[in-house]
Amino acid sequence: MQINPELLEKIVTEVLAEIEASGAAPASAAAVTAAPEAVAGVSLQEKGPASRGTDPKEVVLAISPAFATTFKTTIVGIPLSAVLRQVFAGTEEEGLHVRVIRVYHTSDVAFMAHQAARLSGSGIGIGILSRGTSIIHQRNLAPLSNLELFPQSPVIDLPTFRAIGKNAAKYAKGESPTPVPTNNDPMARPRYQGLAALLHNKEASFQDPSKAPVELAVSFE
Amino acid sequence: MAGTKRSKRFEALENRPVHLDGFIGEWIEVGLYAMGSPQDPKPSIKIEGDKIVEMDGKPRSEFTAIEQFVADYAVNTKNATEAMAKSEIELSRMLVDINVPRTECIRLFTALTPAKVARVLETMNVVEMMMAMQKMRCRQTPANQAHVTSAKDHPVMLAADAAEATFRGFKEIETTVGVVRYGPFNALALLVGGQVGRRGTLSQDALEEAFELEVGMRGLTHYAETVSVYGTERVFVDGDDTPWSKSFLASAYASRGLKMRFTSGTGSEVQMGAAEGKSMLYLETLCIMVTKGAGVQGLQNGSISCIGVPGAVPSGLRAVTAENLITMCLDLEVASGNDQTFTHSDQRRTARTMPQFLPGTDWIFSGYSAVPNYDNMFAGSNWDIADVDDYLALQRDFKVDGGLRPVQEEDVIAVRSKAGRAMQAVFEELGFPPITDDEVEACTYAFGSKDIGDRNIPEDLKAAERLMKEGITGVDVAKALAKRGFRDVAESLILMMRQRVAGDYLQTSAWVASDGTVYSAVNDPNTYMGPGTGYKMSDERWEEIKSIPWAIRAEDI
Amino acid sequence: MAQNEELIANVVRQVLKEIGGAAPAKGAPDSGISAADYPLGVKRKDLLKSPRGIPFEELTLENVESGRVTFDDFRISPDVLKIQGDIAAAVGRAQIALNFGRASEMTKIPDARILEMYNSLRPHRSTKEELLAMAEELQNQYGAAVCAGFVREAADVYQRRKLLKGDLPSTD
Repeated sequence: MQINPELLEKIVTEVLAEIEASGAAPASAAAVTAAPEAVAGVSLQEKGPASRGTDPKEVVLAISPAFATTFKTTIVGIPLSAVLRQVFAGTEEEGLHVRVIRVYHTSDVAFMAHQAARLSGSGIGIGILSRGTSIIHQRNLAPLSNLELFPQSPVIDLPTFRAIGKNAAKYAKGESPTPVPTNNDPMARPRYQGLAALLHNKEASFQDPSKAPVELAVSFE
Repeated sequence: MAGTKRSKRFEALENRPVHLDGFIGEWIEVGLYAMGSPQDPKPSIKIEGDKIVEMDGKPRSEFTAIEQFVADYAVNTKNATEAMAKSEIELSRMLVDINVPRTECIRLFTALTPAKVARVLETMNVVEMMMAMQKMRCRQTPANQAHVTSAKDHPVMLAADAAEATFRGFKEIETTVGVVRYGPFNALALLVGGQVGRRGTLSQDALEEAFELEVGMRGLTHYAETVSVYGTERVFVDGDDTPWSKSFLASAYASRGLKMRFTSGTGSEVQMGAAEGKSMLYLETLCIMVTKGAGVQGLQNGSISCIGVPGAVPSGLRAVTAENLITMCLDLEVASGNDQTFTHSDQRRTARTMPQFLPGTDWIFSGYSAVPNYDNMFAGSNWDIADVDDYLALQRDFKVDGGLRPVQEEDVIAVRSKAGRAMQAVFEELGFPPITDDEVEACTYAFGSKDIGDRNIPEDLKAAERLMKEGITGVDVAKALAKRGFRDVAESLILMMRQRVAGDYLQTSAWVASDGTVYSAVNDPNTYMGPGTGYKMSDERWEEIKSIPWAIRAEDI
Repeated sequence: MAQNEELIANVVRQVLKEIGGAAPAKGAPDSGISAADYPLGVKRKDLLKSPRGIPFEELTLENVESGRVTFDDFRISPDVLKIQGDIAAAVGRAQIALNFGRASEMTKIPDARILEMYNSLRPHRSTKEELLAMAEELQNQYGAAVCAGFVREAADVYQRRKLLKGDLPSTD
């Protein structure tokens, strides 16, 4: 894993420019994301307000306000289209399917996933932030509790995302799977935390506390 | 730089570990700024009756929930006019003046507004802050806390590591989980192992707030610490609490006879994307004052899990030192951080610890990793078990009481083994998945979880769930231990259960000695007033610190 | 030098007086307890007993084994919380005394209900009416007047700051 100083610099420049241009108005930033989105490999179309599902074979995945729009990759450069593909594949391996919502009112991954779980027909939800931080949640748990948490975005790779989808599906079926092994890299923080803060501030600027979750139609290209 | 002729010196420097650290520039607009941001509020106060109607330039009608709470509960309006009239320099000089007693500083600092407190600290350099810490910390005798976690959440390894940690001198131990549903077993492992290593150990299980309270009520933990507060309303709410819910929770802990402190730290608000353009230290000051207002006896701060953020910006570690000092100035126990990795550089990580280690704090580390960092489920501590002999050497080099003591290998092996066997007995008595003799043996001699086998995790998780469902308590664990011949450990558990009845450890900066006596800022208050006063290392303690086993002794040659 | 020593001695006396070590306690008119009685577990065991009256000294492993003492005996009493609050106040920690006052009231509330109440006080969990009903319950059912006032105050703040149930756009 290599840190990408260019990315960091690019983001800072971009955000600073944006602030200057817009007077840091988050509402206008949020409006931009309502348009059909373009990130290579996947198309995400907004379908309208997300509703509560009844299908016990669905897992609801909540993605953050700027996932696969402003942000194209995780903190370590994994394309977000590939992240989605792996979560879908993992869930489908277990015979279940994923419904995707975009959450605007929070960019806290636990609340996002808890929101997903509450909308999910199976009661199981997943939350993923653009930088990669992920969580598997269940409807009846406290919002800041979880079934499985993957807090260190720099160490989450594609097989882990697939395993997250797979385990979420297993929970949805009422099984007790062995949790996805978590990589623990004590040196991830020194390297990435400052950058993660930058990225999160960027993502949070797309937050809109008054906007309800939106359902997305996902098609892979 | 392609094609440019490179200096070999610069190439060598670029390959040093410090170049792996993510340094970033300041960004005032979002609050990526350590202390003294131009966007921080200017100090002001207006009082009508005994109510604050304006604070730091804002009228009461516009107060956030945090500001209202701080104004109503954390600022002593009786002394506010007097205290706010003093200049920042006057106030900071009082902190370093040996002729001004701690109590007088407390009287004034508890009557300042958040913006004023933050500004006072801006006038100080780190050496002055360290001088002030020596006087301002609540408890005279310093102590230390350890993290005890396992990448495998292995109950036997956790118990063995807990025993070793407390045997080495850590008076409080803290765990958390890789897999959240292992929580109850981790609490159990520290409860048993902690008492094996030293009777009187306080242990805790850092998890979701309501769960922490529940295991505490059951007598499986003695205190709680990861009860987080934040400096902006949005982040507080993202943390799923308000100052009122957190205060209610604090009272709930006290009502069950459980010690607790809050947690906060510079950088958390900007890390969560909602610092509202304020400096990290100003927002942290609000957190400290929420803690004060809630009537909680202490606070874990020093950036904690966000240390990578202040660690990346200019003057960041100075801000981290400052936040510890503010906590002391508001007469709160401080567990002063040093508990998370923030750098690849050994120089930086040692330097980061000196402002707490040299003057001493209530808890110098709020989590020295008593396990290898690869097992540290708080994502790594600034120091881990592999550094422990360095730490012992530093205590000896500077004649500083850092809370630890040198130990003999055979003694450590003995306590680890006993903790493992005690867990084995408890598991069997309570009908949990069996612990084999081989597991106990492996955990006794292991360095970390890479040296031991795997448990049947789904079975363990089912049993951990059963522990909660069936309402198993600390008393049940004590009975199981007594029945299986671990009478002394059972006695220790009961001794700690009795603390809940007496409530002595609810007072500020408390720890429990092996005879059950509680020492806190009430009966061990800091009396430092310059050289020759304050904490004085006993001859016995100095002999202990001196005798690192690997030093060459003249009489042996 | 002598002057300095004298100053130090004076200040130390003052400190000791203020922390209540040598002087009579200031904040404890009812209990007559001062910081000199602390720690209670060593100096004032006579004040300590389990909620149903078993003396502190009898809370032993032997009595646990015989069944005379059970888990429920290892609970702090409302009186001891008040005494600890008095001690905190006597050494200048008024907010701690207030906290222990709330805690003293809460000793009567069952564990499960306390957890529920805490969760209800979290942001966006309760309507204002629900919070006010909780305050009523605290006051009438548990005699917890201080806690009730605290919850009513929260209800007002939550309303003003949009922290009540329904103030979020989320659906379920």
